[in-house]
Amino acid sequence: MKNAILMAVFVVVLAGLVLLPWFTPYFYIFIATEILIMGLFAASFNLIFGYTGMLSFGHAAFFGIGSYATAMLLLHLQWPLVYCLIASVVFGALLALVIGFLSVRLNEVYFAMLTLAFGMMVFSIAHQWRSVTNGSDGIAGFTVGEFGLGLPLTLGNPAVYYHVVLVIVVLASALLYLIGRSSFGMILQAIRQNAERVSFCGLNVRAYRLAAFTIGGGFAGLAGGLMAPFLRVASPEMLHWSTSAEPVLMSILGGTGYFLGPFVGSAIFILLETWITSITHAWMLVLGIVLALMVMFFRRGVLGTFLDWWQERQR
Amino acid sequence: MKSFKRGTLLSALVMAVGISATPSWAADEPIRLGAIHILSGSAANYGKFARQGIDLAIDEINDSGGVMGRDLELVIEDSQGKASTAIQAARKLVYQDQVSGLLGLDSSGVAQGLVPIMPELKKPLIITHAATPDATGSLCNAYTYRISNNVAQNMNALASVAAETGAKRWTTIGPDYAFGHQSWEYFGNALKKINPDVELLKDTAFPRFGAEDFTPFINGVMAAKPDGVLISVWGGDLVNFVRQANNLGFFEKDMQIIFTVGAATEVLSALGEQMPEGVWLSTRYWYKAFDNEQNKHFVAAYKDRYGVPPSYNAEGAYAAVYAYKKAIEKAGSADDGDKIAAALDGMSLDAPNGTITFRKGDHQALVGPNVGRAGAMDEEDGIRDLEDLRLFDGEKISRSVAETGCKL
Repeated sequence: MKNAILMAVFVVVLAGLVLLPWFTPYFYIFIATEILIMGLFAASFNLIFGYTGMLSFGHAAFFGIGSYATAMLLLHLQWPLVYCLIASVVFGALLALVIGFLSVRLNEVYFAMLTLAFGMMVFSIAHQWRSVTNGSDGIAGFTVGEFGLGLPLTLGNPAVYYHVVLVIVVLASALLYLIGRSSFGMILQAIRQNAERVSFCGLNVRAYRLAAFTIGGGFAGLAGGLMAPFLRVASPEMLHWSTSAEPVLMSILGGTGYFLGPFVGSAIFILLETWITSITHAWMLVLGIVLALMVMFFRRGVLGTFLDWWQERQR
Repeated sequence: MKSFKRGTLLSALVMAVGISATPSWAADEPIRLGAIHILSGSAANYGKFARQGIDLAIDEINDSGGVMGRDLELVIEDSQGKASTAIQAARKLVYQDQVSGLLGLDSSGVAQGLVPIMPELKKPLIITHAATPDATGSLCNAYTYRISNNVAQNMNALASVAAETGAKRWTTIGPDYAFGHQSWEYFGNALKKINPDVELLKDTAFPRFGAEDFTPFINGVMAAKPDGVLISVWGGDLVNFVRQANNLGFFEKDMQIIFTVGAATEVLSALGEQMPEGVWLSTRYWYKAFDNEQNKHFVAAYKDRYGVPPSYNAEGAYAAVYAYKKAIEKAGSADDGDKIAAALDGMSLDAPNGTITFRKGDHQALVGPNVGRAGAMDEEDGIRDLEDLRLFDGEKISRSVAETGCKL
């Protein structure tokens, strides 16, 4: 019964998302697109954080490289978008493989510091290698042409691009969800709960952590690849540590314990940002207060707290 | 039951579509203009002055009957100097606030990001400050106009000043983004054309925009021993730069110094006597340079309302509001972005800095900078005066349309 209700709510929300362009003002299509992309970014982070228990502060590096890959391929080679996105996944995963190889051997704060350092290294390269990355101006001025695969889509139309993002994010999330549910995902969760015990079972914890880190990087690269055509610019700020903090905040806001937590967190984060910045420019202050209250009183996040309460009540 | 549900859903959808498709303008509602400026960080003062200029123009217009009987209203957004933020802001202004046109932009980097998407937004944009030549060059489009002078115009003028000084070895200190790099590129090319013997040093300095410590860059340039230095640092950065350069004795060296946007009153009033005498200061508009009715009125009204003289950013934003008034009246519509953009094409108007025309072919206003040497303090306004003031003919210092690379 409970599952049936949850499923029904999920289907209604999904249907609402599909129909969104027909009943909201144009502006909210942009907001929804951003929520979906950042939700995927946060969910890719949560595979590393919520599932495997590694707090990475360098996740923006993979998001950013995905963004630069798509932007530069569109600018220089005018590839169809779908191939750019595949390249973004590959670049995100490859970079994560390299950074992960050097980082996953360490735990907790050392791991967090190392990922932060590598993330800022990637940022510095993008910021200073002017002849390739166009420095602090980033890659702009590219046009978004065809999608590829013979699909006649006008990607310049925000409603069409929103639907493209929706389909890709839903497919990617389904894949991410299945990864989390698989025996591989179970082992990741076991590593979070007790890495030593997993190791005593004869499993190579480091290899699993590296695999989780690389997969997370690939999905973050995809999110970045979707972001570039949306923002029409790939800029060094996307690689900055403050961008790495966003999926952390979103995951905590929504709840790290549930797969959809990061998406809920992304929605709350971006809607709050939109509404509060139209009233005051001190939106970060409000966010800080909300986060402090969340961490103090609702450690499981908005979605987590609600579902826990609801299930408790049903019992 | 099933078909009933489907029916209600369908009719709800049809209603929603119907509502969003009807134009939301009633005749007595205000016409909105959307401005995008830097309102936070080290250059926030430029956004403040621009806003003051816009407010002044809008109040003047509304007090004298508005535009086609409707009031003007401002919606302003902070670009934070970032292209992605400005693009999001532009989408909000166009789709949420339904503005008739956009104006503003303080950064070349922001302009390079936003200009290419104007054809999607289908509303005109009048750039009032950002100076990258690309906006009315390689990236130009039917919706983008610029009322302020660009890097190419400014550098053509400054190269002639530089050639006059006789300095042979030149280098630059500029912000590490499009504006700093393009200023140096266009300056070098223009100077080489006048005098092929000049040497452009490889020892250039491009500190990050918003950097607080310029000491290593100042020392590096002094160590290269140039005869002349082109400085395109601007905003709060320029205030910090001049203070630190004073401490390091930078201005006591035997060098010609040209500040490409140094006579911004935002900077001059922050620095006061700390701006060294004798350096060359350029600006898009100097409030004492024009002896026409518009300027007399504008400067008096501005000083009266805000207690300080208007900066070039205030003037550009003020003039852009009047450009929209004229274009909307000429187009006969405040809703049709295509018509308003078309009305701006080739349009002339009387602005504080003279009669300006948006050139057909690239949409660049043919305006020259005002250049002078930092002189004695103007005690009344609390800023250094400009001596040896030069005005440049916009026609002569602008690139030809063919040179801009713009194809409309």
